[in-house]
Amino acid sequence: MSGQASSAPKGGPNWILLIVGGLAILGFLGLLAFGFGEDEQETVFSERPAPDFELEDLDGKLQKLSGQDKPVVLNFWATWCVPCKAEHPVLLQNASLYPDVQFFGVLYGDNPAKARAYLKGAGSAYPTLMDPTGAIAAAYGVTGVPETFFIDDTQVMRYRHNGPVDMNVMDYGLKAIR
Amino acid sequence: MVSLIGRTLVLLALGACAAGGVAGLVAGKTRSPQAWKLSIAMGLAFAALMTLATGVMEYALLVHDFSVSYVAQVGSTSTPVAITMVSLWSSLEGSILFWGFVLAAATGVFAWSMRTRDPEHGSYALGVLLLIGAFFTFLVAGVANPFLPTPGAIPLDGPGPNALLQNHVLMIIHPPALYMGYVTMAVPFAMAASALLAGRLEASWMRSLRRWTLFSWSWLSLGLLLGGWWSYEVLGWGGYWAWDPVENAAFMPWLTATAFVHSSQVMERRGQFKGWTLTLGLASFLLTMLGTFMTRSGVFNSVHAFGEGPIGPIFLGFIAVCLVFSLLLLGLRLHHLEPKNKMAGVVSREAVFLLNNLLFVALTFTVLIGTLYPLIREAYDGARISVGEPYFNKMSLPVMVAILFFMGVGPALPWGDGNLERAGKRLAVPTAVSVVVGAVLFALGVRDFWPLATFVTAAFAGVTSIRELIEPAVNRAKKKGENLLVAWWQYASRSRAKVGAYTAHLGIVALAIGIGGSAGYKQVLDVTLTQGEAQEVLGYTLVFEGYESQQQPHRRSEVTWVRVYRGDRDLGRVDPRMNHYDTMAQPIGTPAVISAGPGYFGRLAPSEDLYLSLTRLSDDHRAVSVRVMTHPVIWWVWIGGLMLFGGGLLASWPGLVKLKEKRGAKTKQTVDA
Repeated sequence: MSGQASSAPKGGPNWILLIVGGLAILGFLGLLAFGFGEDEQETVFSERPAPDFELEDLDGKLQKLSGQDKPVVLNFWATWCVPCKAEHPVLLQNASLYPDVQFFGVLYGDNPAKARAYLKGAGSAYPTLMDPTGAIAAAYGVTGVPETFFIDDTQVMRYRHNGPVDMNVMDYGLKAIR
Repeated sequence: MVSLIGRTLVLLALGACAAGGVAGLVAGKTRSPQAWKLSIAMGLAFAALMTLATGVMEYALLVHDFSVSYVAQVGSTSTPVAITMVSLWSSLEGSILFWGFVLAAATGVFAWSMRTRDPEHGSYALGVLLLIGAFFTFLVAGVANPFLPTPGAIPLDGPGPNALLQNHVLMIIHPPALYMGYVTMAVPFAMAASALLAGRLEASWMRSLRRWTLFSWSWLSLGLLLGGWWSYEVLGWGGYWAWDPVENAAFMPWLTATAFVHSSQVMERRGQFKGWTLTLGLASFLLTMLGTFMTRSGVFNSVHAFGEGPIGPIFLGFIAVCLVFSLLLLGLRLHHLEPKNKMAGVVSREAVFLLNNLLFVALTFTVLIGTLYPLIREAYDGARISVGEPYFNKMSLPVMVAILFFMGVGPALPWGDGNLERAGKRLAVPTAVSVVVGAVLFALGVRDFWPLATFVTAAFAGVTSIRELIEPAVNRAKKKGENLLVAWWQYASRSRAKVGAYTAHLGIVALAIGIGGSAGYKQVLDVTLTQGEAQEVLGYTLVFEGYESQQQPHRRSEVTWVRVYRGDRDLGRVDPRMNHYDTMAQPIGTPAVISAGPGYFGRLAPSEDLYLSLTRLSDDHRAVSVRVMTHPVIWWVWIGGLMLFGGGLLASWPGLVKLKEKRGAKTKQTVDA
């Protein structure tokens, strides 16, 4: 009743606010919408060349990524990491199923003697590399173990998996590189 | 069956919201009493239906009815009953249902409280609120429906809720507290929108608006505090705040709501800052929506993220509607609310409020930019970066200290035109105290600039706040010859809002001390302990006594026993542990926290936390690697946070005296009639 009468408009609509605010809203929403297109696991690593490495394995043999003519599965692990032990049989099984793929383990923040002892008990089907300075883990951007990288035969990273792998993950990753 | 009942209730709630929302807006426009009555009835119906729906879901969870998809997703017969009850908010669908329930309850209370109020304001506000409710109910009924029947064969057991939820009691209460803050922020938004739609804003409406904001603000404060506390007690990295995007998302509306609570007082008393204040009110809700979006959309990487789903784009659409609606309101309707007075002078409380408001908004923008920058950068050149603590700490620390300073100045100044000399007199005591505190701390070896500045400013603001809490009582005691305690009680019960406000101010002072001490003077050391051997670490003696593996239905824990001595005093045996959940790849640590140190008041006011976090356990369990940290005065952080919550609630509650007055006025009216 008295609402409109007592406070009659003393100016007009604020066009500057509307235009500037409208543009700001458009920009802001565009930015958030852009975020949807991004999927951490897929886009960052597809088409990215895998960092090269030249590391000694537990038997003292030098292993290189460059020059491999097979696709490579690179698995970062440690003996103090419980999920790593859980995924170990899956990796062993896949390594024997797919002789056309080169599997490597990379020891992450652990003692080689312990790793040797563990592999003796748990079984081993592929070389485990030592990365004493952690430089290779850093180059690959490992966030924690276990983490597994799938690299095709042109040394391009096709997929990465954070956490222990299972048969489904291995299927997906191997399909991407074989 | 349960699934069918649940879906029916949700659909009815959706109908009630939509009908009530439209009726409310129509009632605001046409002043139709029928439409107004309808929208109130629909508001109450919304509350009742969502309460029932939530009750039905709780029932399904408790009886392990795996024919309901959500129960099959988060339920497990091996989960303890208490955890089963709270698994309502452990996953996306349930959390949105819970969200809708809180919103419905707030809408019900609001509708009930509006029965006797000015219908024009009330109906617009209820209309907007119910339309927001319609959106959330739509989510529950559609893309995030927890009541869908389980597809395929009904399982005999489920995986149980998120492991993190099962790890600590604080995790059980942190989400609902935060939801209370987030969701109820819709009420101030609706009320601010209604002021703009109606084209008028009276002091009484502003007062209700502030109360509701204070209510949300209190819960938001509690939610933030519990989140930080949980992170400290559980995650094992030893901190309580990491400037994670989602923490920031909850912090930003807290900042704007704090600014709102202050500028609304200037508006109420002096008729100024109307547009500014309403903008803050609208922005607080919009920022809570942004926060919700962040956790539910998968756009941001964070420990809080629920993962991607169809809900993200829909939510973004809702944010767009809310933003455009707010902008149109401000652009097209604000000129109906012209300021009554010009600012009186620089030496006035409103001038300080304005300054503090600007600082709060500046801080909000700082946090917003830091949070969004990774997205901006990625959109620009595809680079993936993250903005870390150094940026936020560097940018926000000076602003926070300045806010603390003005918090000490403001209460000493009068409303309106102030007198510089009088203000100087009022500030003499706080200044003197802070100088003494600074000198003593300096002499004790506190030499770093920011911690020292924080403590000195905290002392300054602390004295002002304490004076506001006791001075009126002392005056009253003198004037009326009452006992000081009686006088204080009389004062406190008459000025609840004021006591609440200064309690919250003291809470901020406590927080400043806690943060300054624990962040500025924490010590960290990684050590390896061998079983049976004593080792000196950071002034404590630690003995690794043994190892134990504990098997529980839902988890397996590797427990290490460490005895702690300080000098000759045995502080007890603690158990930092590592928990393995079937559903989770990474183990979750539980650090051991012991409140020790040379506390002058013993355990009541410990001056330091000793914090042990298990990082590695040798295969033979004879050696253990532990991250050892000491956090001085960290308890002040928790105490300060609780004071914010308590003070805010106290200030938001309608005062007893006011209620009595209202009742008196009503009786009088009836008599007159």
